[in-house]
Amino acid sequence: MSDARFAVDGLGFGFGDVRILDDATFSLDAGTVTALVGPNGSGKTTILELLAGLRRPDAGTIERPAGDGRDVAYLPQSPAFRPWFTVAETIGFYESLSGVDDSPAALLSRVGLGDVGDRRVDSLSGGMTRLLGIAQALVGDPPVVLLDEPTSGLDPDVTDRIFEATASLADEGRVVVVASHDVAAVEEWADRVLLVAGGAVVADDAPAALLDRTDTDTLRGAFSALVRTERTVPAGGED
Amino acid sequence: MARRPLFVVVDRELRSLARNRTLLLVAGAFFAVVVGLGGASMGSPGGYVSLTLDLLTPIEVLVPTVAFAVTYQSIRGDAARGELDVIRTYPVSRTTYVAGVFLGRAAALLLLLVASLTVAGVLAASGASQPSSYFATHAAGDTPVAYGRFVALSGLYLVVVTAIAVAVSAVARSRRAALAAAVALLILLAVGLDLAVMTLFTADAVTGSALGTLVGFSPASAFRGLVFAAVVEPALATPPPAPTAGVFASVLGLATWLVGALGAAVAAVWRS
Repeated sequence: MSDARFAVDGLGFGFGDVRILDDATFSLDAGTVTALVGPNGSGKTTILELLAGLRRPDAGTIERPAGDGRDVAYLPQSPAFRPWFTVAETIGFYESLSGVDDSPAALLSRVGLGDVGDRRVDSLSGGMTRLLGIAQALVGDPPVVLLDEPTSGLDPDVTDRIFEATASLADEGRVVVVASHDVAAVEEWADRVLLVAGGAVVADDAPAALLDRTDTDTLRGAFSALVRTERTVPAGGED
Repeated sequence: MARRPLFVVVDRELRSLARNRTLLLVAGAFFAVVVGLGGASMGSPGGYVSLTLDLLTPIEVLVPTVAFAVTYQSIRGDAARGELDVIRTYPVSRTTYVAGVFLGRAAALLLLLVASLTVAGVLAASGASQPSSYFATHAAGDTPVAYGRFVALSGLYLVVVTAIAVAVSAVARSRRAALAAAVALLILLAVGLDLAVMTLFTADAVTGSALGTLVGFSPASAFRGLVFAAVVEPALATPPPAPTAGVFASVLGLATWLVGALGAAVAAVWRS
C-alpha cells in the first residue's frame, strides 16, 4: 500500500456551461492527508466524486492505485445508513459486500465505537455516525480514502477524534483526501492542501508553505489571498 | 465463508422489510383484506373458481398497491442517504445491486401473497359445503389445483409489478418524485391502460380481433387473461363473457414489462 500513487492528468468536468475543473493535473501520495479546500460552490464534492469514480470526467485521466477488491472508499457529506440496523450489522453488511469475513467489532473499536455495536444506527449522534462512516471506509482495506466534509457541524472534540482517525488512515499508507471548510483542523491535521477556485487548482502545497507564500499568519488569510489573486489575475497570467 | 454480493443485498432487503413497522402494517392490512375476502366467500356456492373470481379484481388492484408501497423507496432511500455512492465503491455491479433489491423485495412480497391467498383459500374451502348449482358445471375443474394456478399467476403478476416499482425507485431523483411516479403508475397499471385500450376500441381505432393482443400489454389485463385461460375457462361450461387478453399476448406483455422495468432500473441506478 505504501507504493500507492494517485495521478490526475488534465482533468476536466462541468455541469453544462458551469466548469468545475479544467485541465487539472496533480498527484496524491500515499501516507499523507490532503485537504481539498475552496469557497462554497467551488465543486469540492464533485471533485471528490470524480476522484472516487462516481462521475465520469469530461476530459483527462485518473489513475488510481488498485486494492484487493476495493480500490476507493468514499464517505459522503452527512452520511446516513439504513436506520433499522445496528452499528455492527451495518459494518457487517459492508464487510460481506466486500467479501471480508471478519467480525465488525475490530473495525468499530478502531474508530472508538466498540461499545455501541448493538445500538441502532438511528440512535447515534452526528459525530458517531461520521465515525461509523469512517469505519465503513476501512472495510476491505482500500488504498484510497475520500471524505467529504467529515466534521461539518460537529464540536471541536469530535472534530479532533475524526481527524485523528483520518490521520491514522494515512499513517497506514493510504491516500487520504478530505474536503473541508474547517480551516483550523486543516491547518492542524493536513499534510498538504489543494485549494480549488474558479475551476482551477489555485494552490497545491503544505499548509506552512502556503503561509510563507502568501505572507500570512493563518490558513484562512492564505486562502483569501490566493482566491483573491486567482480572481484578479487573468487565466494563464499568474506566471 | 464470504457470501456472494447478490445474496448480501437480498439479505439486507429482507431484514429491512422485517424491521420496518410501517411496511409491516401495510403487509398486515393486505393480509387482512385478502383473508377477509376469503372469509366472505365462506358458505357461498361455488368453490375455488368462485373464490378466484371473487379475488381477481381485488388482487389486480391490491398487488400493485402493496408492491409499490413496499418498494418505491428501496433504491431511492439508499440514494437519499448517500449509501448508494458508498455501495458503488464496493465490488458490486449495478446489475447485482438492482437484482438483489428486486429479489429481496419480491421474495418478501411473494411470501405475503402466498400466505394470504392460502389462508383465504382454506377459509373459503372450509365453508363451501355446497357445490355450485349453476356457475361451475365442470366439478373436476374446480379443485385446489385450479386455485393453486391462480396463486401462481398472482405471484407472476406481483413479480412484474415489483420490478416496475423497483424501476420507479431507481429512476426517481427525489422522494416526492418517487411517490408521484408510484401513484401515477399504480393508477395506470390498475385501470389506466385498460381504459386507454377500451377507449381506442370504442373509437374504432382498434378492431375486436386486435383487442385480445393489445390488452395483453396491460399487466392487469394480462394477469386477468391468464387467470381466465388457466383457471376459469377449464372449470366452466359457460365462462362469463369477459374480453380478456390472449395467452401469448399476456405472457409476452408481462415478460416485456418485467425485462423492460429491470433493464430501466439497471440503466438508471448509476452510470457504469
